Amino acid sequence: MSKGPTVGAPISIPQTYEGRDILLVGGSGFVGKVWLTMVLDRLPEVGRIYLLLRGKTRGVKQRFEKFVNETYVFSTLHERFGADLAKHICARMEVIEGDVGRPNLGMSDEAAARLRESVDLIINFAGLVDFNPDLRDAAATNVNGAVHIADFVESCNHARLIHVSTCYVAGLRDGRIPESIQPLTPSGEVIEAQAELAKMREIIAKTELDNESDEVEAQLRADVIARLKARGAEPSEKRIVDMVVRLKRKRLRETMSMAGTERAKELGWPNTYTYTKALAEYLLLERQGRIEFTIFRPAIVESSISFPFPGWNEGFNTSGPLAYLAKTWFRHIPAMPGNPLDVIPVDMVCKALLIAGAALLRGEHAPIYHCGSSDRNFLPIDRLAELSALSHRRWLRENGESALHKVVLSRWDTVAADPDHALNISNVRSVLNQVTRYLRHGLPEKIPSELRDFAGRLAKSTDSSNRRLRQIEDVLDLFQPFTHDHYFVFECRAIARHQVVEAEFRFEPESIEWRSYWLDVHMPGLRRWCFTVYDNKDREQYEPATRFEMIDSPRDRPADTPRKETG
Amino acid sequence: MSNERSAAFFRAEGVLISRGVVHAATWMAAQRAGFRERAIRFGQAALAAPVFGLLGQNDRSLGNRVAHLAYRDMTSDRIEVLAEEYVEDVLDDKILDSGVELVKQARAAGHRVVILSEGISEIMTKVVERYIRGVDDLVCNHLEYKDIKATGKLLDPVIGGYEGGRWAASYAAEHDIDLSRSIAYAGHGPDLLLLSAVGQPCVVNPDFTLRKAAREADWPVVDYSA
Repeated sequence: MSKGPTVGAPISIPQTYEGRDILLVGGSGFVGKVWLTMVLDRLPEVGRIYLLLRGKTRGVKQRFEKFVNETYVFSTLHERFGADLAKHICARMEVIEGDVGRPNLGMSDEAAARLRESVDLIINFAGLVDFNPDLRDAAATNVNGAVHIADFVESCNHARLIHVSTCYVAGLRDGRIPESIQPLTPSGEVIEAQAELAKMREIIAKTELDNESDEVEAQLRADVIARLKARGAEPSEKRIVDMVVRLKRKRLRETMSMAGTERAKELGWPNTYTYTKALAEYLLLERQGRIEFTIFRPAIVESSISFPFPGWNEGFNTSGPLAYLAKTWFRHIPAMPGNPLDVIPVDMVCKALLIAGAALLRGEHAPIYHCGSSDRNFLPIDRLAELSALSHRRWLRENGESALHKVVLSRWDTVAADPDHALNISNVRSVLNQVTRYLRHGLPEKIPSELRDFAGRLAKSTDSSNRRLRQIEDVLDLFQPFTHDHYFVFECRAIARHQVVEAEFRFEPESIEWRSYWLDVHMPGLRRWCFTVYDNKDREQYEPATRFEMIDSPRDRPADTPRKETG
Repeated sequence: MSNERSAAFFRAEGVLISRGVVHAATWMAAQRAGFRERAIRFGQAALAAPVFGLLGQNDRSLGNRVAHLAYRDMTSDRIEVLAEEYVEDVLDDKILDSGVELVKQARAAGHRVVILSEGISEIMTKVVERYIRGVDDLVCNHLEYKDIKATGKLLDPVIGGYEGGRWAASYAAEHDIDLSRSIAYAGHGPDLLLLSAVGQPCVVNPDFTLRKAAREADWPVVDYSA
């Protein structure tokens, strides 16, 4: 029998992952997809990767094919393997239908039994990252999902778990946040995980019950009738009932979101996301001794620095709205100069995850890994705001829509300011609102029709700016605890304790040169992949030369290959 | 036969670029983040103009120090990005082609090409990269930074004073250069010692003091505006 690695010896990532079977849960998210492509690209000797996907309306295979064919993150794999990509992927991957919100991860009995035997490592990327979502959704994914995965790990033959959480489970604290976990709320009270889970379920049940009450029904009914009458429509009973049902559903989502936020704030978390992620950690902690796991907490995951290519990003991320704001006429970002914004490129996160996973497989893991930059390469938020403004200046100089944009807007610098600044976003919106109202209803009767048309067009534009600012205001409100109210530095030392043999897999946040990262990598990435989403424009889709289609492929490892010892 | 090489020294301001440090500093000051900052620093940079007017034909160090106060508290990020814009957009038509031609000729004649400038390194490196090919050495001023913010001071030695001649002697010793076979092109009074140190001085677009000195020393004087 071959000897296992010496404890504390440098980790070889390819050797550690060679022949290992890995189950990815939530692998279709931003980090999950980069991790998957990195492994497929750089660790060809990996065993079998099982990707758990929800079927939704189309089958999981079709969903996966759509990812691979249309998402740019897979472009490097397409370019490298061309027509052989299907062979390369299918020899190493299997897509499995399941749902983290259901027991047994919603897998078929056959798939579950097979995975229980073979899986070495499970990575739980699943998470609802909206800050204040419907509490039921957050509970299903962030809490129940984590519990179901832990149950599954416990039922496995030898699987170990990386639970991907967030540094911001620290809640509303200040100062250096250690890489540790204690069953305490951020406000310092002891938290009992099962009791808190029961409390959360009770809040959900109570909110649902409240929504079904006669008072709510009567109130909504009265509102609907009043609204229909105001529109001059005939309030038929069927129409009223339909509208009341819709409004009740909407109200329930809103009250659920508020209930989650309220409970989170009561305990010292700024939002439902961090509260539910923290609760999942406490629930996992109860399994200590029964399963082998580590908690991996990334900070703010942003554009890749080099893999799959510089600047890859996706969706509505954290620094995006702040950076987007810097290119508008609004210039006061609510932020405390000198506070860090802990940004870490996604490919660095994936490397750190590979290291943490390797350490876990070798039995040398730490209980918690932070993955951020503030401890090792500090980036203050005022620097970030200035770099964003400078990047827009550079871009507008060449691409501004008009001379006004090229000359004036490009010099309209964004600054970090107090949230109560006279020109804060809420006041700016209020002025815009009044302008819109005046343009629509306040103009004198007798003005030339051309002027009225112009005012109409202007009102449309101020209204649309206002709506966009409203979205940004919501986001800024959510971020304010991190950008202004609290000062966090997340210790990030545990990963550094593991020496890595291969330079390409080392986690080195010190190597980020923030100016070039922000100006030449991150901002162009945001502009290409994220700002289009904020502007409600179509997202760019990749078009491969040869479309990927899943093929049946035998497992790489013959049945008689001896399994690597874990730990 | 000596193995020593010869060099061609070019003072950037007035010979290669038609704008000096006051122009750069006022432009940079006008691009600061806040409107109040812009006004204050612009005024501060503009103060350097009368200082240069009064003392510039004899010693430009004080003028340089005053002009560069405009950079105080500016981050290196902002200075780098603005320098790029300044060089690409503002200096684009301020580069003197006749001066660039002189550089080419010096290069073709086998001289080591050395540029001296009162400008800051953030701007001058970009000027050289973008507009002037074949430069062996750039000697210019460097801002002092604390963390990433400029203090408004220049690191010693400040280029622009009378040190040009002494500096040329030590440069020649370090790089094995025969000054008697070297050329220098300059146009300001304080460049007198630099021009005296070389075998072939050439006065370009000179100020009053240098024009007078050139006439007395019988040095060639060249005037061009493009």
